[in-house]
Formats: sequence, structure tokens, C-alpha cells
Amino acid sequence: MRDFGKSLIRFALIIALSLAIGAIFIMMIGENPISAYGALVKGAFVGKLNLGKTLANFTPLMLTALAFAIGAKGGAFNVGVEGEVFLGGIAAAYIGIHWGFLPMPIHLLACFLGAMIVAAMWAFIPGALKAYYGVNEVCSTILLNYVAFYITSYLVSGPMSAGVANAQSDPVADQVKLYQFMKPSSANVGMFIAIIVGIIAIWILNKTTFGYKIRTVGLNASHAEYVGINPKHTFIKTMIFSGVLGGIAGCIEILGVHGYFLNNFAANIGFNGMLAALVVKNNLILTPFMAFFLGALKSGALGLQQATSVPKSIVDTITAVFIIIATMDLLFQFKKKKQVQQSDEPLKPEASQEKEA
Amino acid sequence: MSSFVVEMKGINKNFGEVCAVKNGHIQVEKGEIHALIGENGAGKSTMMKLLYGLYPHDAGDIWVSGKQIKNMTPKRAIDLGIGMVHQEFMLVNELTVLENILLGFEPKKGLTVDFATGRAQVQQFIDQYGLDIQMDKRIHQISVGEAQRVEIIKILSRGAEIIILDEPTAVLTPQEADGLFEILKKLKADGKSVIFISHKLDEVMKISDRISVMRQGAYIGTVQKSETNPAQLAQMMIGREVFLNIKKSEVNSGAKVLDVQDLWTSGEKEISKIRGISFEVHEGEILGIAGIDGNGQSELIEAITGLRKVEKGKVILAGEVITNLSVGNIRAKGMTHIPEDRNKRGLNRALTIWENIIATHIGDPAFSKNKVLSLPHSIAYANELAEQFDIRPRDVSMPTQSLSGGNAQKVVVAREVAMNGKLLVASQPTRGVDIGAIESIRSILEKVKEQGTGVLLVSADLEEILSLSDRIIVMYEGKISGTLTASEATDTKLGYLMMGGKAEEVAHA
Repeated sequence: MRDFGKSLIRFALIIALSLAIGAIFIMMIGENPISAYGALVKGAFVGKLNLGKTLANFTPLMLTALAFAIGAKGGAFNVGVEGEVFLGGIAAAYIGIHWGFLPMPIHLLACFLGAMIVAAMWAFIPGALKAYYGVNEVCSTILLNYVAFYITSYLVSGPMSAGVANAQSDPVADQVKLYQFMKPSSANVGMFIAIIVGIIAIWILNKTTFGYKIRTVGLNASHAEYVGINPKHTFIKTMIFSGVLGGIAGCIEILGVHGYFLNNFAANIGFNGMLAALVVKNNLILTPFMAFFLGALKSGALGLQQATSVPKSIVDTITAVFIIIATMDLLFQFKKKKQVQQSDEPLKPEASQEKEA
Repeated sequence: MSSFVVEMKGINKNFGEVCAVKNGHIQVEKGEIHALIGENGAGKSTMMKLLYGLYPHDAGDIWVSGKQIKNMTPKRAIDLGIGMVHQEFMLVNELTVLENILLGFEPKKGLTVDFATGRAQVQQFIDQYGLDIQMDKRIHQISVGEAQRVEIIKILSRGAEIIILDEPTAVLTPQEADGLFEILKKLKADGKSVIFISHKLDEVMKISDRISVMRQGAYIGTVQKSETNPAQLAQMMIGREVFLNIKKSEVNSGAKVLDVQDLWTSGEKEISKIRGISFEVHEGEILGIAGIDGNGQSELIEAITGLRKVEKGKVILAGEVITNLSVGNIRAKGMTHIPEDRNKRGLNRALTIWENIIATHIGDPAFSKNKVLSLPHSIAYANELAEQFDIRPRDVSMPTQSLSGGNAQKVVVAREVAMNGKLLVASQPTRGVDIGAIESIRSILEKVKEQGTGVLLVSADLEEILSLSDRIIVMYEGKISGTLTASEATDTKLGYLMMGGKAEEVAHA
């Protein structure tokens, strides 16, 4: 609990510092940083549309961030969440469009299950390649992201195309569309599904034997092997677990936000989720908060641009500064740093940080 | 001012919140062999690392040859004539012995290294102190004892007058240790001062002139060797009397519990590190495996416990063939295992004591229902073991990385012993733990044996092998070089076998 408080303080300090640096940029443009930040906050939270946008941004980010963090707990650096979002999305879209003969709850369930299964199979590939052939999962997942993107791109430009100017699919059946509760924003009940899924995922990791195995393998694979846990199988299952969360994110985006499969809809969702997880060092409890923060920045940026002459890109700059500062591990850990330098084995703390990354 | 070559007074050193040395004190006279003894973690190495300038000290004064030295660094220490042989050798494996010695202090001839001059200098040390080394071998081709002599020449060639040896005999056979003592005596005769860190009382009594004792970071006292005895030293080290030589119970061995038949397995680098080993362990006996580290003991144990692939041969546990089964499967058949490296294998350091204790139980119905861990039962079980095995602190929600070596090892021992397996494989069970924990772990092993479990004990510590084992096999280069019963084994005999039975030729080493 003390650690949790510490990370919260650290989090607040990082926000303050990055806002301060952002303020310098804003002043250089000749705007008042206080009113600019006011517009940013307003753009993110004030009004149904603005708050709704923030929530809509938050939903997939939370799932992809958790997907990455859970992978990391099991020792997998899964850069492939984005590909899993795309493929989960296309599976959900296909089932949503073509399986209208099913009654509503079963049809909806089928969309989610289909997305989860396809994403799981996709995540199995890099998992098995790493476990049995030693292929680095960072390389394979990055490359598989392209493959996933082009598969979906092909499908919505060809076989599944709606035949309109944009590359997109036919709309899914109305019965599986997720209710948007803050129109005109696209915030939808998928958010609650995502939150429940997130809670279940965290529970699985912390309370079940499966989660125990994931954590054990992630922290010390030699130890896991020695106590009789198969690190290879566990690694593959971890990748699948991570992939399934990505698949659910894709499904919610399609059924809740778009209503059809829009080409390249998930651009950067997986990537930003990874950033959110990395910033909080894969702390599962903090991850959703970080996802919310990034989501709010994104929608606030639009408000900022409309209300002032500050371009939206300044927010991207602040976000980038924020992430850089947040990943500068030692910045707010002066005391710890001193101890590290004098410690018996100076190399150890660095090594353990590497593991966490 | 002081008349000692080295004087350290009122030294304090903290690592974070851990106090490593508290009011540390040592005075070394010129031309003496001064032993610095204490349990693991008593602060001996830290004291010497402070003297060598590897860390800054928090408080206290250091005097070298009458001069007070502030801000000691290793470079200054070398300039002042201090040399240190670390526990882990600082040698470049791929370079030759000669290159290693000259490294950083090469005699130059124009732009090139003047190897001829360097070689002559090194030869001088070899002749003067009887430091037998082969200058043209590469480091990975020579034995540990020889590498140690290389380290000694290295520091002598940098002009060391004060030589610090950090537990130099830990890696040596008894014969090699005797060879080292001869060298130390010659160094002393030549007026050099030697600081000798150890926790082995017999060798301290053999070699030193004066002995300083440390306990839990504090200075306890300095005694003349001639006026003390091992019992008094042990009492100073521990603060109470200890009995390390467990009284062995009668061998009451029953049926074969482990049968290893013509086992072949590979090492990290070489194919077939273990070449055709066969032995048996019976119920109610402790079979000791002696040998110098790196002669295949680790590979043998991994092959038996399922952590390494068996190339050829059979492993039979209580009548069932377990060759190349999964670790989980082998454990389910009654294998328990205290691994040699508790940090890498034995523990998941970032997890708590209870999480480590249930690691082998997560599949048991008592510990998990429908794949959900039962927290109350797990914690209660861990508390019970913590009580029974005296794991301190008693708080099972502590991460194991915050435990001392002895208590961390007790977590491993508790988990494995409480499994009540048919066979307990104990590999280096007391390596790097304090004397109190050594005492209790050894008596636990003895109890396990009395309950009728077969115990396979691997240890580099001959005293441990001799005091616990009913039968002893000695490994040398991946083979068994000899088998002895407890009654016929002595450390001399074991030492010869550990050198491959060709001990006569290398006895002077």
C-alpha cells in the first residue's frame, strides 16, 4: 500500500512537470498557458460530448494497456496487441453482419467469443515461436501487426467491402450494436463491459493458480521450471491471455463506436495502450488510470484547438514529454538512486529494472 | 599516529537501512598473517572492501603505514601497496595468464608491449614465492587454485605489501589450501602483511598469527593464535556454543529409493558432461556427493530432477522410471529438491514467503479450488512452516528478497522437506548461510533421513559431507572417481579423489 501511495505521488509530480514544460511551449506561441490548460480540461470533461469523447477514448486504451501489462507480468513484451485489436474487430464485424439469424444475446456473445478466439489464435503464433524456437516476441509481434492490418484492410476493401468510397464493411446487425449513452459522443456500454473484463483479468492474475503461474514465470522462469511449472506453456498462455483482451477491445470498438469495420480503425490503440502500461511500469491498478489520463488528453486536445490558437499538436508534445519523464526512472527517486550507487551489488537494481520493462 | 601497517578505527558503513559494519576495528602489524573471522554477513568482506576503497565509509578513520587516508579509492589503495584477492577472481578468461598479470601495467617497448621484460618479472615472483603457474595457458584452461595464484602474482607485481585474501580457501581442495598456506608463509617471511578472511576455524588456527573476530557488523575482539582455541573462537563468532558435527544416527537403510543407471547428460558448453554415472540411494540413508565445483555435480542433479535432458541411461525413483519426465511429473512421484542456487532456482525473490512456500502446492485441492487459490489455507500453511522451521521474521507476507541468506534458505528447505517426498535432493544446502542456519539445516537433513527418506546430498564443503553422509561418492570430470563409506572417509582421501585420484602428482598445489 505504501508503494501504491508512492507511485501516486510520483505520477502527480510527473504530470506537474510535463504540464510545466508544456506551458513553456504554449508561451512561446504567445498564448496564456493557464487559459490554454483551462480549455484543455474543458475539452476533456465539460459537457456531454467532451466527457463522452474522453470515455470513448478510455475504453479501448484501458483494455490494450491491461493486455500489455498482463503480458509483461508473464515476461512477454507483447507489442502485438494492435494486431489483435484489428483481428478481433474483423471477427466481431463478420459475425455481427452475417449471423443475424441468432437471437440477440447469443448473437452478441458470439461476436465477443469470435473476437476473442481469433485474437487468441493470432497471439498464439508469437507465443509458440518464442517458446519453441526462441524467436523474440518483440520482433514477431511488430511484424505480425502489419500482417493483421493488411489482412483486415484486404477484407474490407474486397470480400467484406460495403462498396462505398471508404474502405469499410457493411454495418453490423442493429441488435448487436452497443448502446451509446452519451450521444452525440460515441461513449457506449462497451465501457462497462471493458471495466468488468479488466476487473476479471486483474482478479485472474492475482487470485488464481493460472495467474500465479504467469507471475512466477514472468519473475523467474528458472524457478518456475524448478517447482514444476512449464515456462513454455505458461508463456504461450500468457500471450493468449493478452491477445484475448486486445480482441475484446477490437470487438467493443466495432460494435460500440463504429457499427461497421472501418479500415485502420485501431491505428495506435495498441501502441498507446502499451505506452500507458509502460509509464506505470505495468502496475495493473494504475494502468486504467493512466489509460483514462491519455484518453482525456486526446479529447482535451480538440477542445484546446477550438478554443485557442494553440494547435492540437502541442498536446501530443506534452504527452510525449510526459511519457519521457515518466520513463526516466530515477528522476523522482533521488534517495533510492543514492542507495543504488552505494549498494553491495551496483548492477542488480538495473538488472531488475530491465526485467520490469 | 599508529605503528601498524593498517589501522581501521570506529568504522561505520550502512547500505541503505542495513547496517553492514558498526564500529569496525582492526590493527594489522607488519609481517604478520592476520585472520579476520566471522559468520557470513558479519561484515568481514565489507571491512576489507572499505580498506580497499571499493566503497566510501560513513564514519571512522583508516590509517595505512602511519598515514591517515581519507577518500580511499582502489587506485590509491594500490599506490599505497594494498592488494586484494576477491572471492570471485577478476581475470579475463580469454587472455593468457601472462597477459592477465600485465594487463593495465604493461612494460612498453615503443608502441608494443614488452612481453620479454614482463615475463622475466613474473618469473621472479614465481621463483621467489613458489607460485607455480603456467604463463602461456589461458585462464579458462587452468584450475581455480592456479587462478588464485595468478591473482596473487598480479597484486605482487603491482607492488603490494599488504595482501587481503577474501575467503581464499572456499574454492580449494584441502591439498590446494595447504599449498596456499605455504605461499602465505613465504610472503610473511618476506615482510609482507597478510589479511586473511575466513570462517573456517581449523585453517585460521593453522595459518594466522593474530585473529580478529567480527559478529553482526561489530568488532568483537582480537586474540593471539597461541592463546586461543577453536572453541573460544566459535563462541566469539556466534556468541554462544555451537555443535556443527551432528551426531549421526545409525544407518537404517531400506529399499532402493533412487537408482541411477549409466547416466549421460550434457553440460552448458560440452556434450556429455556426465559420462556414465551409476549409483543408488536407499531409504533412510544420506549419500554424499563430494567434488570440486564444476565437475558435473550440478548437471547430474539437474538430470535427476528433470531440469536437464538425459542423453542416455536411466533414473528410477522408487521403482518408477522417471528419465526425461517433466519436473512436475517427477515431483508428483515423490522427488523433492533443495537446489544449489536459491536465488535463481529455489526462490521467486520478488514474491512473498507464503507464495514461495505454496509454489509446489498450487495444484493441490487443499490449496486451490477450481483453480482459485485458497488464501487462508495457503497463509495458514506458510505460518505453520515458518514456525516449525524457525523462519525469521515470522511475517509470511514479507518478500523473500528481504530475508537474510539463512532465512531465505530455510524457506526453500521448509517447502521441500514438508512435501515428505521419497527422496530429498539437497544441493549445497548450506552455501552462503550463517552458522546458526547451517546447524539447523544439517539437523533437519538428519531428521529427514531418520524418517526413512533417502537423501542425496551434494556439497563442496567437505566437513558437511563428512559429518552427514553414510556413504560418499566423489565426482571428478563427470565421472565417479571413488566411493567410500563414512567410516573409511577422511578429508585427505576425499581430497585425493576430488583431484581425480592423481593427487600424488599435484599434492604440492
